[in-house]
Amino acid sequence: MSYFFQIVVSGIVVGSIYALAALGLVLVYKSSRVANFAHGQLIAAGAFIAYALTVWAKIPVFFSFIISMGATFFLAMSVEKIFLRRLIGEPIISVIMVTIGLASILDGLIYLTPFGSENFSFPAFLPHTPLSYGGVSISWTQLVGVIVTMVLIGGFSWFFKKSTVGISMRAVSDDQFAAMSVGISVQTVFGLAWATAGLSAAAAGCIIGNITGLNFDTLHAFGVVVFPVVILGGLDSILGAVVAGIIMGLIQQFASGYLDGNWGLNGTGEVMPYVILLIILLFKPHGLFGIHEIERV
Amino acid sequence: MSSNQWLATGNFFTAYKQEQRTFFTHLDRSVFSLFLALLLIWPMVFPLSNKYMLVIDSTLIAIVAVMGLNLVTGFAGLISIGHAAFVGVGAYTVAALCRVLGDSHGLVTHFWPIVILAGGLVGAVFGAVVGLPALRLKHLYLAIATLSFQMIFEWTINFMTFFNQGQTIFVGRVFWFTGKVMRREHYQFWYYVTLVVIILSGFGIRNLMKTRYGRCLIAVRDNDRAADAMGMHPGFTKVYAFALAGFMAGMAGALHAYLYRGVGFESFTLHHSISYLAMAIVGGLGTLNGSFWGPVAIQFLELQVEHFSGFAGEYLPSSMNLATALRPLTFGLVIVLFLMFEPRGIANWWRIVKSYTKKWPFRY
Repeated sequence: MSYFFQIVVSGIVVGSIYALAALGLVLVYKSSRVANFAHGQLIAAGAFIAYALTVWAKIPVFFSFIISMGATFFLAMSVEKIFLRRLIGEPIISVIMVTIGLASILDGLIYLTPFGSENFSFPAFLPHTPLSYGGVSISWTQLVGVIVTMVLIGGFSWFFKKSTVGISMRAVSDDQFAAMSVGISVQTVFGLAWATAGLSAAAAGCIIGNITGLNFDTLHAFGVVVFPVVILGGLDSILGAVVAGIIMGLIQQFASGYLDGNWGLNGTGEVMPYVILLIILLFKPHGLFGIHEIERV
Repeated sequence: MSSNQWLATGNFFTAYKQEQRTFFTHLDRSVFSLFLALLLIWPMVFPLSNKYMLVIDSTLIAIVAVMGLNLVTGFAGLISIGHAAFVGVGAYTVAALCRVLGDSHGLVTHFWPIVILAGGLVGAVFGAVVGLPALRLKHLYLAIATLSFQMIFEWTINFMTFFNQGQTIFVGRVFWFTGKVMRREHYQFWYYVTLVVIILSGFGIRNLMKTRYGRCLIAVRDNDRAADAMGMHPGFTKVYAFALAGFMAGMAGALHAYLYRGVGFESFTLHHSISYLAMAIVGGLGTLNGSFWGPVAIQFLELQVEHFSGFAGEYLPSSMNLATALRPLTFGLVIVLFLMFEPRGIANWWRIVKSYTKKWPFRY
């Protein structure tokens, strides 16, 4: 039984990170209808900036996390300004391909640094002994990671529910013309959506980096695996991203905990999200909480 | 023959038959035949080393694959981020035959044209199955469905012992009328085979686009509700587009398996899917000659990047692998710049040059 609970705990840990990573994707899609295929690279960039600041510039860990979040905030904002603003109104394939191209460019830039080929790990700043209760154990990094994630997600939802900027972002996602007519600058909102996405990506990157270590492949794989998460939750729902993130984490951990090694299966955790994704696309394409756009083809 | 054999000033067709000809003018036909003859003759006149012949062969195979991608993404407007997986399906059809029958069984080595077609057919079946979500989904959702097929394909190959867990599965040397194709003539042989495949499927696609089965693809891309009102079934048309793309990709995969004499997992990753998309975009989506320009341009670029990083790598610390960094960088830049400044691709340059020469010395 403790095996079961152990899997539940690690599923929640992984799932909350997925939720945070998916949040950025949902933010961008919600406001500007762009699916950002470069999100994994933003996550990786955030983590690497934080590492460089902590280890090479010797800035205290928490400050460097905050600085890296600020840096990716501006990175994502400038990406939107330079590349995506020109493509407003272009067919969706151009927009998707531009984000894929951006992913490729960021890949190349990261490969130019040592982070592309080597593995690093953050210096430990939390106690090593894991917390355990009744045979279920969770390390301090994981616990702190989950708590920080939850706080951040809470912060983001407060931001969208209550703050003026958040409300204007929701207004733009609802109806761009109506938003313009009440004096909201749609372009600023697009930029801000990307910027907040970058910020949440950096936060996710720092937490992943602390839990699993800094490996470029792992980090940018998150950019692909968030797609099943956002589709399950509904592409334009923040609540959906959180719920689906945790569901996906649990599914993944249960798959690798119970299916691997039986019936000659292996590595099912990696493929399960995509199988679920295909099933959802076939039967409930708008996800758990997404808006149903009724359209027959 | 119509009276207007140069077709420079306008459209004087008086019958549908005239419009459906493959070559509109004598000039068209003679230029094309000359070009074709050149393509057929040069390897005999200037024999290249195996290394460069391999590059040219793989470019040609990429052309076959990109023709398929252009059908689904360019003509039918459905984004496919899993094209390398379809190519992989074709390649692994050959590999599966080799695993079941042994890698130099007569079927694989003597009846290779049939095996290539079979690879195409298996690819088509997979294409249709993956395209099934197209009955309900559009745009982004469909793109993500193809992405998930790519991921599932990679996992299946990586973890199935039947497919050697992604390690190379060998494919035997094939036979031609003159006997076994040996190492010396291997690359030239496959150059000709791929060229024939390209020419046949090029004509096939060009003619397809003049029939209702090709035009319905364009109709569905441009406006699927209007297409529905005209009596087409947009859902099935999309599935059919995926099947066509799968067929071309499957053939490309089978050719790839024969050319490299082995099938390994690393040639069919997400990265390759993206580079097929890049080739289609750089060439020009929705144009047939774009499918030729794109792969050639990207392959040329890749060679230059490798050359440059080999040259610049000498001045840098050896721990840095410049090629792995520069390849995605230039690649991404090319995609982004083309989409921002020339979304219609190289095919559009070709069109501009053509109309310029036609009207010279006048500007319009």
